[in-house]
Amino acid sequence: MAEPNTDLPGDRLLAYLALSPSIAILILLVAVPMVTVFAMSMQHISLGELSGPFVGLRNFERVLADPAFLNALGNTFVWVFGSVAIEMALGLGIALLLNIDFRMRGIARAVILTPYLIPTVVAVLTWHYMFNDIIGVLNYLLMAVGLISQPLLWLNSTSMAMFSVILVGVWKFFPFVVIALMGILQAIPQEQYEAADIDGASALQKFWRITLPHIMPVFLLTALLRTIWTFHKFDIIYLMTGGGPIDATTTLPVLVYQQGFVDFALGRAAATAIITFAILGVLLAVYLHLMKRAEARQ
Amino acid sequence: MALVEVKQITKKFGAYSAISNVSLTAQDGKFLILLGPSGCGKTTLLRMIAGLELPTYGDIVIGGKVATRLHPKDRNIAMVFQNYALYPHLTIYENVAFPLRVRGFSGDIDKKVKWATSLVGIEHLLERKPRQMSGGERQRTALARSLVRDPSVFLLDEPLSNLDAKLRHSAREELRQFQERIGVTSIYVTHDQVEAMGLGDRICVMQGGVVRQLGTPEEIYLNPADTFVASFIGSPPMNLISDEGRTIGFRPEMFLPESAFDPSEALYRTEFTVQRIEYLGGDRILYGMVGASLPSSKAIARLPATIGTLPEVGTTAKFAMRLSDIRYFDGEGKAVEQSRRHEARLVVNG
Repeated sequence: MAEPNTDLPGDRLLAYLALSPSIAILILLVAVPMVTVFAMSMQHISLGELSGPFVGLRNFERVLADPAFLNALGNTFVWVFGSVAIEMALGLGIALLLNIDFRMRGIARAVILTPYLIPTVVAVLTWHYMFNDIIGVLNYLLMAVGLISQPLLWLNSTSMAMFSVILVGVWKFFPFVVIALMGILQAIPQEQYEAADIDGASALQKFWRITLPHIMPVFLLTALLRTIWTFHKFDIIYLMTGGGPIDATTTLPVLVYQQGFVDFALGRAAATAIITFAILGVLLAVYLHLMKRAEARQ
Repeated sequence: MALVEVKQITKKFGAYSAISNVSLTAQDGKFLILLGPSGCGKTTLLRMIAGLELPTYGDIVIGGKVATRLHPKDRNIAMVFQNYALYPHLTIYENVAFPLRVRGFSGDIDKKVKWATSLVGIEHLLERKPRQMSGGERQRTALARSLVRDPSVFLLDEPLSNLDAKLRHSAREELRQFQERIGVTSIYVTHDQVEAMGLGDRICVMQGGVVRQLGTPEEIYLNPADTFVASFIGSPPMNLISDEGRTIGFRPEMFLPESAFDPSEALYRTEFTVQRIEYLGGDRILYGMVGASLPSSKAIARLPATIGTLPEVGTTAKFAMRLSDIRYFDGEGKAVEQSRRHEARLVVNG
């Protein structure tokens, strides 16, 4: 059989030339730091140094045996699943509401999206003021309507701090879920609902039999994407509580920061980062698998 | 089984009237076609009968009961959508069973599903999902789903338009046989006049939100109520020639070389200059200009293959038509009634 005609002479060269800037940037910004961190995780690095003697897996042993690590791992799961569960439920509810045709819907949509557009630092500092035990508006309002009788220690009690941080995270990121789900909701053919109306289906039956199966692939992918992003979220927690009080909100990324830039144990920090990366790697593999399946279904 | 009456229905979307004061009756067990170009209001009318739209004015009466404000599920109608609106996540079996399940049907669902699917010949595909089926099979599934709960009225919104031409022909035939067998009042929306002529007991021709004519396919073809119906039905459409404030109409297949007629017949004779000839196998379409006694204007003649000798392109030949085949329309395009035809004919001959 003859060679099929695929490319003209020089096409390949041009392709590599066109790709090379992107490849260079990726190597510089992704591959080099990753290899460096991996190397660091197996060295004993003293204060002020960037490398040191090779110690094999000792850093990993020490990290895994450290109660601070297990605490951070537990906190991370509470933070991730708490945030994502509430974000998804709230996002779905609001997306369904915004999918109904009503006056001012355009304005309502824009308003809902604003938390996502506000810079994290601005949002966190504002929430910080609102959470303040003494001068904060949240305690004032809740006491004014009589829901609580004394001020809550939103950020300063070990039992409440995680809840407060999740609250801010949810507030900041549920609009993302709304955007993603609104897109797929609008793609459901209207005739399906009309056919169901004629067939005699109730609103709940229509939701279960039409809406939910239609949005499920996007819903799952969004949940997983939010899980991955929430997992390595650093700025909200660090700016709100610094990981405290004590270590109540120390998640794995916060722990990496503390080990690296407070304790200056770069080797251990690198080992913790690698473990975090491995967990994320598993989540990413699941995400890519689901994505491929969703594409195959199209 | 039920009579469907549309009583003085008007539908406005804002300031725009999609339907203006339409009244018609779909007879019990018969096939009524709503035919018209896009935007004529035929689908809107069907959706109002289904209960998916509320008429601005007027009433819908189904089986003697005012249904104008009834929820679609309480009208005992079934509807087949243009793109079938099958539920993509359910199997064919579950799609067909859906209307029974959501209504809490107490009888044997399995038996009903098998009955409905065997009526349309898809009983061997029950485990498939809609996306694994061909267009024709999906269309049958939609039919089975709509008939599974014994509706008294069938509404069909261009159900054949997503099929390819060959399949559409056989599906049309099946649909007609199927409707006759189950004898359900059916209202069918289409923009395809061939479909309308082939399927309908009666055809309602709509345009601009009003009914232009309601009648049997023969009535509509032979005696169009106005110039719109005359030019919308028939392929190629009726020749319409304006002459002194009125319009003369004749079908291309009635307009033949003079030699094709018996000389003793009452003929209207004229001249036809042929500009182009199109071969369609069985027929030939001649495009040209009429002249002589008629005002010079474009016309089309459709000659069956049985007429051997054709005039050559560029020549003028003697053509004729039977006086009885000529239709007359007044200045507003309305057909001139039988009693006044004689008078009009005299004017033409004079």
